[in-house]
Amino acid sequence: MNDISEAFVSSLGLILFLDAELLEIILLSFRITFYAVLISSIIGIPLGAFLASTHFRFRNAVVSILFGMMGLPPVVVGLFVYLIFSRSGSLGWMGLLYSPTVMIIAQVILILPIVCCLTFQIIESLHTRYHEFFRSYRIAKLKSVIAYIVDSRFELTTVVLAGIGRSISEVGAIIIVGGNIDHITRVMTTAIALETSKGNLDLALGLGIILLATAIVLNGFILFLRGKYLNTSGSTI
Amino acid sequence: MASEDTQIRINDLSFDIEGKTLLHNTNLSLNGDGITVLLGANGAGKTIFLKLLTGLLTPCSGSITFEGGNLSIKTRAFVSQEPVILRRTVLKNILFVLEKITSEKSTLTKELLSLMGLDKKEHQNAMTLSAGEKQRLCLARAIITDPEILLLDEPTANIEPNSTTLIEKYLIQKVRSSRKIFFVTHDINQARRLADEIVFIHTGRVIEHSSAENFFENPKTREARKYISGKIN
Repeated sequence: MNDISEAFVSSLGLILFLDAELLEIILLSFRITFYAVLISSIIGIPLGAFLASTHFRFRNAVVSILFGMMGLPPVVVGLFVYLIFSRSGSLGWMGLLYSPTVMIIAQVILILPIVCCLTFQIIESLHTRYHEFFRSYRIAKLKSVIAYIVDSRFELTTVVLAGIGRSISEVGAIIIVGGNIDHITRVMTTAIALETSKGNLDLALGLGIILLATAIVLNGFILFLRGKYLNTSGSTI
Repeated sequence: MASEDTQIRINDLSFDIEGKTLLHNTNLSLNGDGITVLLGANGAGKTIFLKLLTGLLTPCSGSITFEGGNLSIKTRAFVSQEPVILRRTVLKNILFVLEKITSEKSTLTKELLSLMGLDKKEHQNAMTLSAGEKQRLCLARAIITDPEILLLDEPTANIEPNSTTLIEKYLIQKVRSSRKIFFVTHDINQARRLADEIVFIHTGRVIEHSSAENFFENPKTREARKYISGKIN
């Protein structure tokens, strides 16, 4: 018990004095998460909006596959990406294995279906209300998809936040493709796993506190947005 | 603008869903101007008929033609019973339906907002308007597209009396003279106030079509007489 409290105090020291190693790991985590969520959102939100508001022949099959991909096991994704980017893999020539870039790619594969499917669910309900209006005024497809996205911006913000939460807490895939290399691909989750196994509990706990605080802040923000949305049912733009 | 020369001809129009016929072979020739009220009890097929006219539904058989005019689907505007409001300001709701915002359209928008009593709320979030204000906004949004035919599906069904009065007054004074209006209602008194001609629909069949005066003074069918006397709702 003493060890834990000592480690806890020591970890607070690392946070308060902005330990360089801790800071480097945190910044890399946020950088990878930022790009992974940005790419997933740029692709996933319009794709989800398009799927929710368009009927085509294999739509249900596409949607079913995407929903199935929401539960992809991270280690399997990690292994899959590893095989592709390893020296003998089809994209091995790019030399991206054990780099932050490949970690972002793995994260995108994991987050994209989540962003896309949550967007689909949100916009499908809006589509039920809007589609007759859009049809009667002959609103162009692109304009209607943009309107769906703009009009569900509060709910979509929570989708992005959910993506951030999923990305920042991911460990299985990125430890395989990133290799957890010090100063290069070490992020909060992989560092916690490593430092715990080494018995270096203060750094592990420090990172754990930051990770936990990030999750709490994100969830708090989601609740705040939800409350704002429920109070106003949308706001002016 | 739809004119007296324009006749709207409906030939053998019918509509089925899952083997159930909701509108039976309908043949009508309607005036190209004035207000045609589609009257009938709940579930009679008024909204189906209106949506077929709007082009929102495709008929299973038959056709709708516009003679003496060159009406395209773009010249029709539809307002549903439940106002569909975009989550943005009142002004942006109106401008959304325009392909191009010209200075002429901007001026017309201001005029319409003023006529609808929404001029002080143009920058307000449209979602926070009352039901009547939302419906007035929908009507203004329909008018701004300058439709030749305005199709209104019970636009005053769930709104406060002052909004109903404002909408009716606006339709009679400002819209009737310049475009054709189809108005669905099951409110007899409202039909008396608004209608130039009546299309009475009963269980998916148009069983009476005449001028409003004739319809109310001398209904030809037993169902129409029962409906006017309030025995069918």
